[in-house]
Amino acid sequence: MSETAAAELPFLNLSDPSFSIRSHVVREARDRSWCARTPYGLAVLRYEEVGKLLRDPRLRQGSYAWPAHNQATGRFAEWWLAMLLNRIGEDHARLRRLANPAFSPKLIGALKPKFEALAHELIDGFAKRGRCDFMAEFSEPYATRVICILLELDQSEWRNLADIAGEMGLALGVTYKQDVARVNAATDRLYDYVQRVIALRRKRPPADDFVSLLLQANENKDTLSDQELDDMVVLAVFGGIDTTRNQLGLALGMFIDNPAQWQLLAEQPELARPAVEEVMRTRPTTTWVTRETMEDITVNDLPIKKGTTLHLFAESAGTDPAVFTPGFDISVKRMPHFGFGGGTHHCLGHFIARGDMTEALRILAQRIRNPRYDGAATWLPDSGNTGAVKLPILFDAEPT
Amino acid sequence: MKICVDLVKCQLHGQCAIAAPKLFSFGEDGKLQWVEQPDESARREAEEAADVCPEQAITIED
Repeated sequence: MSETAAAELPFLNLSDPSFSIRSHVVREARDRSWCARTPYGLAVLRYEEVGKLLRDPRLRQGSYAWPAHNQATGRFAEWWLAMLLNRIGEDHARLRRLANPAFSPKLIGALKPKFEALAHELIDGFAKRGRCDFMAEFSEPYATRVICILLELDQSEWRNLADIAGEMGLALGVTYKQDVARVNAATDRLYDYVQRVIALRRKRPPADDFVSLLLQANENKDTLSDQELDDMVVLAVFGGIDTTRNQLGLALGMFIDNPAQWQLLAEQPELARPAVEEVMRTRPTTTWVTRETMEDITVNDLPIKKGTTLHLFAESAGTDPAVFTPGFDISVKRMPHFGFGGGTHHCLGHFIARGDMTEALRILAQRIRNPRYDGAATWLPDSGNTGAVKLPILFDAEPT
Repeated sequence: MKICVDLVKCQLHGQCAIAAPKLFSFGEDGKLQWVEQPDESARREAEEAADVCPEQAITIED
């Protein structure tokens, strides 16, 4: 077997703040090879290899290395290392089994009317005005209040929780070093809040909400320790807010760029579910997920050393011309995308996310007609976890 | 009780093997293996596996 030399691979500078996951540089690299070199590890660019490596048992989740790579210390880094995503083996399986029932697809049916009512309430706030900042007035309150519904938290807390999630999210951005104090202060605030919720929930009769289910497991400290209980609820709040907020903004951006598709969704509301999939295939907020090799491996004749970071490019794989016909079309049946990652660490909250975004897009398409940009939107860098910061839009106002 | 897996839908995430390790596992060749007709006492585990499958590829027939 002939071995591929790493030096022959294309190079992608992921550290450049202007690097874009959707740039022609990435497209050209994908045409040339399934894999590219980066300043730290390799980038995997094609559908087949991303799918295989996502679930390869010789790889572990790579994000555990984040504190070490960034010399990060403090409350956020401590939580990061302890939480579900960065656990492995039987420890991870135990925590995942405990969390799964609270995120079951059976719950979606009961939550759907609540998502629908929430979407209408938020749209009522701006529909007659004919303009809004979609992030501030829809996607942020929607994503945050969905978490409040799911965890049975007080809805009036949403602003506080959205602010905390935003500040904690700075940890994963390029300006982390200057934000470290804010990140850790926000993490402290979230732990304080979560511990208050848990204390109150302990006094309630047993129920089947997420916190109550974990409390039942916590009766045996070997099944779920007090610290693991706190860490898990912090994950549910932080993990659910930023991702859905960003993904909904990216969805609206795709439909503004493809107005005929928005019209189609308005006419055929049953396409809302496939619309979520099509958006996440072509414009995922999580543009890549990382893995790290736990042993020396060989992929397509390329030897990869133990301890190598692999960036699995969800967007590049999702638009791979070897698998997908070009374009954005919610009426076409597609292969599964990697917007929720895959394998052992497949997104825990995906049934909820799919359910709440389906309701949001269905109702938005009914009520927000002819959306277009109102001046310039502000976007996060088009790499890592991306999305809009501000997304001012104009649309056809509802009659008063 | 019979466990059916739609291998066209299945993406080999392995969530079933986490939820119900006595019923689902991966073979040496990386293929999914499962107990097709488990004892009735394993129903809860089987249902959990069907529930958590991200692709909803698992069904249980009585």
